[in-house]
Amino acid sequence: MTAPAIKTEGLSKQYDEVTALDGLDLTVEQGEVYGFLGPNGAGKSTTIGLLMNYSKPTAGTARVLGFDPWTDVVACHQRIGILPDRFDTYDNRSARRHLQLVADTKGADNDPAALLERVGLGDAIDRPAGEFSQGMEQRLALAMSLVGDPELLILDEPFTGLDPHGVALVRDVVDSESERGTTVFFSSHVLGQVEVVCDRIGILHRGRLVDEGTLSAFRERLDLTAEATVEDIFIQLTDESVQQTADSARLREGNQ
Amino acid sequence: MTLLAGTQPRWFPLAREEARGLLTAKGPWILAVLLVLWGYRPTYVGWQGLGSNMTIGFLQTAGSFLLPLGVLLLSYRSVVGERTSGSLKFVLGLPMTRSDILVGKVLGRSAGIAIPISAAAVTLGVIGLIRFGAFSPLLFCGVLLSTVVYVMSLVSVGTAISAVTTSTVRAAGAAFGGVYLVFTAFWTKFAEIIYATVGTAPPETTVGTASVNSFSAPADGLFFLLLRLSPGRAYRVLTNWLLGVGNSGGSFDAVITKLETPTSITIYTVESAFHGQTPPAYLHELSGVVILLCWLLVPLGVARYRFERGDLV
Repeated sequence: MTAPAIKTEGLSKQYDEVTALDGLDLTVEQGEVYGFLGPNGAGKSTTIGLLMNYSKPTAGTARVLGFDPWTDVVACHQRIGILPDRFDTYDNRSARRHLQLVADTKGADNDPAALLERVGLGDAIDRPAGEFSQGMEQRLALAMSLVGDPELLILDEPFTGLDPHGVALVRDVVDSESERGTTVFFSSHVLGQVEVVCDRIGILHRGRLVDEGTLSAFRERLDLTAEATVEDIFIQLTDESVQQTADSARLREGNQ
Repeated sequence: MTLLAGTQPRWFPLAREEARGLLTAKGPWILAVLLVLWGYRPTYVGWQGLGSNMTIGFLQTAGSFLLPLGVLLLSYRSVVGERTSGSLKFVLGLPMTRSDILVGKVLGRSAGIAIPISAAAVTLGVIGLIRFGAFSPLLFCGVLLSTVVYVMSLVSVGTAISAVTTSTVRAAGAAFGGVYLVFTAFWTKFAEIIYATVGTAPPETTVGTASVNSFSAPADGLFFLLLRLSPGRAYRVLTNWLLGVGNSGGSFDAVITKLETPTSITIYTVESAFHGQTPPAYLHELSGVVILLCWLLVPLGVARYRFERGDLV
């Protein structure tokens, strides 16, 4: 039996007064396309940051492809492609050099030209990234995540700054990588983009996983029509969650 | 290609990229030009003391004051700059430990700065060769190598500061306010104050004003050790030894002036303070190498400890 691509238990992150992530139990099986949804500030990037060893948890455990993400960093990252959120490229380096660094470090033999062609940056291969628009930077980062044919692709808000062509490109890449057997874990708050590509979605709200399942299961359970979009499901679930939080707060106050 | 990737250390591609980034940027080359202009200072006393080897002394002059400023300027943002911009997320996502990242940064940036500085040294050498004749090539290489070790120590300190600060402003404050001003530019003053305050000074030097000065330098090994804890003075102790001018953290021409001419000037030399007594063994000039290596390893080791454990995004 293969280990899940991602498995977290009670994963929590506390920043001084703020609870960014509160006891996350999450399992993403290998080969799945998992959409990690939630409003801004829900804890999506915090989760990805923990899985990528950008930060350390205050509680809980995690396994990524069977490895500990904080001690087996090299083994983990060798198998992961990451498109981070709110990144910056190196202004004075060409697109080619960006990819070459990743390829050299991973010991991968991907041709930078072919990867850049794939994300529509074939013409810009030797231009410094400092001249790139936001959409081009996003495409470059997507190409970087594909170097080394990763087993797990983590895309944090991959649609940021993309025009409709770019959005279609991300979907195509997710589809074809998924066909190749890659697990795709991506976060988004742009819900319309998600439903076409995801096998399963999880909804994160205020640092907690509110619900997860397939789209059709959600529609059925929430008594929504087949036309109901992720948007409707999302609003209904996070509203409920707001309601619950408000209720429990009121209860606590009542008890005092 | 894959075989090659298996044999090279994990940090090597990052180091190469760091070096390439510096070598294709203007900063290090501007520094190199300034170092040539700053370092070329023929003096009568230098010629008197060293002959045509005075040219090698130009390297030491270039390596003092301006070089540490330039190297710190080119290093203090190396990690914190990427952290605040967000490009660190790519580097952190690569199959490397955080320690690998620090090693790659330090070695790559050292190479990217040491190469232009070596070019400046060779330029000074060529100018000196034309103006003052042949000098000892071995001695030239020795002083150049010492300069490269000094550069690596400074890059290491700058990177260590960069790895443990959360804003570029704080990193700049620590690098220039802390390392440059205190430990490099004005260390002699600080060392005098520390020595007078801590009070290990023999009674005759603390009587009255409780001050220490180079006219009545205490024949105390600890004071001289304290003086050479500065990376800049450690570098000059080492290079003055190679040049054969004396055991001192002052500039080579000042040491010659103090020890070889009747002129008395305000610098500290072991020879003039100990008046023929044997100074403690730990004041051997090789202590300069030890101190430079400490600057290379200790701050980075502390930074590594914190960098490995903290939140970086």
